[in-house]
Order: sequence, then C-alpha cells, then structure tokens
Amino acid sequence: MDPFLYLDRDTFVHRLDPRTKMLLLVGAFVLTFLFVNPLYQLVVFAVVIVFGAIARSLVNLKRIWFILVMVGLMTVILWSIFASGETPLFWFVEREAVLYGVAIALRIDITIIAGMIFLSTTRNEEIATGLVRIGIPYRFAFAISTALRLVPTIAATGSTIGQAQRSRGLDLESGNLIQRIRKNTPLLIPVFVSTIRSTNVFSMALESKGFGASPERTYFLQLSMGRRDALVLLMFAVLLAAALALRFAGYGGLEGFSR
Amino acid sequence: MKEAFTMWRHTQMVVLVALSAAIYAAVLIPFKGFAIIPGFTEIRPANVFPFVFGLLFGPAGAWGAAIGNLIGDFFGTLGIGSIFGFVGNFFLGFIPYKMWGAFFRRGENMEPTVNTGKKLAVYIAISILASAVCADWIAWFNDLIGFVPFAALGSIITVNNAVAGIVLGPILLLVLYPRVKRWGLLWTEIMRPDEVSAARFQTLGNLLMWVGGIGALVVGLAIGLGIYDQGFAAAGFAPTAGGAGGAAIGLALLPFLALIVVASFLLGGREQVEAAEEEAGAPRVR
Repeated sequence: MDPFLYLDRDTFVHRLDPRTKMLLLVGAFVLTFLFVNPLYQLVVFAVVIVFGAIARSLVNLKRIWFILVMVGLMTVILWSIFASGETPLFWFVEREAVLYGVAIALRIDITIIAGMIFLSTTRNEEIATGLVRIGIPYRFAFAISTALRLVPTIAATGSTIGQAQRSRGLDLESGNLIQRIRKNTPLLIPVFVSTIRSTNVFSMALESKGFGASPERTYFLQLSMGRRDALVLLMFAVLLAAALALRFAGYGGLEGFSR
Repeated sequence: MKEAFTMWRHTQMVVLVALSAAIYAAVLIPFKGFAIIPGFTEIRPANVFPFVFGLLFGPAGAWGAAIGNLIGDFFGTLGIGSIFGFVGNFFLGFIPYKMWGAFFRRGENMEPTVNTGKKLAVYIAISILASAVCADWIAWFNDLIGFVPFAALGSIITVNNAVAGIVLGPILLLVLYPRVKRWGLLWTEIMRPDEVSAARFQTLGNLLMWVGGIGALVVGLAIGLGIYDQGFAAAGFAPTAGGAGGAAIGLALLPFLALIVVASFLLGGREQVEAAEEEAGAPRVR
C-alpha cells in the first residue's frame, strides 16, 4: 500500500498552484480558530468537507477516520475534565466544558482534514518547489523532499529484511508490543546502518551534478499562479472576511465557559 | 546556534538531514496507531533517533528530527499542532549535542558515545532534559491554542521521549558511533571550528537550560493541575476563578522558554569540533 496520501486525479483543486493550496491551508486554520461555538465549527467543517469533495480526496478519510474519531472523543473527555462552566451537567462536568470540548474536537479534526486534502492534491515535488517559491531556502526544501522520497524506500527495505528472516522461521508476529519491538530492533539496525552509509556516495552524486554550485538554480517543474488561483484566493478572502465580521460582531463565542 | 545555519553549506550535512528525517519518519509512521493521546502523541520508540542523531550528526540530527516529525504528521495528522511539533523535535535533537560538551573538561575525551560510566550518566541526564524541553514547547503551544491541556500532554511527552532515549539510545549509540566515525560522518568531522558557535558562558548556559527546561515543565504542571493556583492568582496572571491553565500557562511559561532560547546561544559546540581536530592530529582543510 502506498503510504502517501496523494491521489492522482484531474480536479480543479489538483490544478491549483501549490502556493495557493498552502495559503488555503493556512486560511482554513485561521477560519477554524475564529470560533469556539460548536455550531459555527460545524459550518467551517462543512466548508472544508465540500472543498474535499470538489478535490475528490475524501476517499482518504477512510485511512484516517480512526484518528479523527479518537481525537474527537479524547478531546471532549479531556476538556470536560480540565475546563469548567456554569451549568452542571453530571457529576463534576459542566455543560459549557463539554460544548467547548466538542468545538475543539471539531477544530482539531478540521485542521487534520484540511492537511489531508492538501496532501491528497499536492505532489511532493510541488510541495518542495512551492516552499522554495515562498522563500524557504532551497537546501532546506531539498532535505524535506528527499526525506519524503526516502521514507517508502527505508520502509520497503525493512519489510524485505523482515520477510527474509520470517522465511527462515523467525517469529516476528507473536508476543506483546514490547516483545515485538525487541524482536524487530535487531532487524532494523542493518537498515539504519546501510542508509547512513550511503551519505558519502549520495553527497558525491549530488555535487557531481552541480548541487550548490550556483546560488540561483532552475527547476524542471514550473509553477505559475493564474486566474484560477486568483479567483479561489479572492473567494476565500471574502469568506474569511465574512467570518471575521461575524466574530467581531460577537457571534461564535461560548458563554459561561472558563479554562 | 550558529552551526544550525552554517551547516547548510555542507552537502554531507544536507544529506544527513534528509537521511535522519527519513529514518525517524519511517519508524514513527508504523506506530501511529498506538496512540496515547490520539492525534497528538503515540507510543514512539522512534524517539530514540533525535538523541542519537543529535549527538552524532549535531545540527543535521536536530533538523532531521524536526523534519522527520513533520513528515510523520504528513501521514494523517498534519495540522496546526505540527508547527510546534517541528520546534519541539528540533530541540530534542539540538540539546544533546549542545549540552554534551558542557559536561567535559578541555582535553578530556568527549567522543559522543556511552562507553564509560560518566558518559552514560551524562547521556541519561541530557536525554531527560531534552525530553522535557521538547514537551515544554509542544504542550505549551497546544495549551495556548486550546487543543490539549498542558497537564495532559507535558508529562506524557516527557516520559515517552525519555523512556525511548534511555532504554534504546545507549544500544543504538554503541552500534552506530564506531561506524559513523569510521565513515567520517560525525558532525565534528564535517564542520570547521569557525562555523560553530564558541562556548562563552557554557556553565551559565548549562544552568539556564536546566532551569528553563525542567522549570517550565514543573510550573506548567503545577498551574495546569491547580497546585499553583492561589499564589499565581495573587500575582495577577490567572484569568478566571479556577486559575488553572489558559493564559496563566501561556504567560507563566514564557520566561522559561526564553531561558531555553538564551541558553541555546550561550552553549557552544566549537570545543567538540576542536577536540575532534586535535584527535585527528591537524586542522582540516576543505
């Protein structure tokens, strides 16, 4: 199974410039932080879900639904214990604390789903090039994109070693979590050692291809922000302005809640 | 702190950042399902890597830890909390190599391994401190933005990090150190002394890092659990009758976090590079 979330689809969102998608992601974070009332958070949640549906990326929810549900439950439980309100609900739990917990659970889930949509519609190379174009130093962006590319390779090497040992009769599946970690650790050492060992060859290969030879560099992947990006950003700016106006008008808060 | 930026000049260090990040992320991801606080932290044996890579690869290990954690978040939990996950994990790899030199006298063997009792004790102490500092940043930010209370997250991250570092770290360090040294990949062998910050007030930096790291954790837990309630409310920080959490933690921890940053500038690293040069017999020419 591909560990990455990216879905190769031809949608309106996929065709947006990665910088636009980064701005939308930050905008979604701002939007969800404006409100502490669960009803308003539900509206933001619906906006993000509709955007995900347009991007045809909601299929990835199947991969993270467990995290989303557990985040929701744990957040409501934690804030019901640690926060306080004015209206008793049961035992020491107050109504406002539970509502706050629900709002925060929605907020966290919204940020995770927005992140998922971004990763489902943006390739690793686009993320790296987009980072450079917004001013992140090239070498830093290169390290991120290389690491992203190497993760499946390292995981696959580990898996191959594990399978080779299993075919020789090594039992890696039985036992509790600690016992399984103890059995797997010796198998992982060769993976780490061989990966680190490749550093010098990797560095020489990069330098032989002119890595860092010039402060300015060119890219195969050309990014351009067009009319489509401008339209989407304008629509989102209007939405954000409306949400800000609502919040400053006093809507979207939670009366009686205290931390 | 200087070396955290000058290291990007070296292609080998850039590659080490990428490889450290990839290894960290590759081991983090399979354990995403073993959650302690779902979406925020899980059982993380992979947390041994920031300590080990920090000691061996210096700033490249620190950046590798930060990027590796971010990539781990790419597999389902990318959100606003990832910002301080990046910062916290950077310090998890940064503190081990910065603090290491502060425990050894000039001329004393300061190779980053655990082949003596003193070195093992220093490693354990540094692991606990780095774990606390990482937890301070992440739990402080998550409490500030109202995601998870400091009391719930701070202690769990500290223990989770420290256990992985103390139990698995010495074994991994003993396995990797001789090989990394043989391949010439220790950060002290790649970087030049003038690229690394000199230790001007190392003892003070050492002290401030402990006060900042452990102090933030203790005060954050005390406020979060309401133990510090009355005295803190009297000082005018507590925003509500309850007094626990919220703006109180956000404000009270700021001086401690500032101490951590100040200590990062005071602690050196150049002495380790110079010691490596002396051991090699001559200054390196690149």
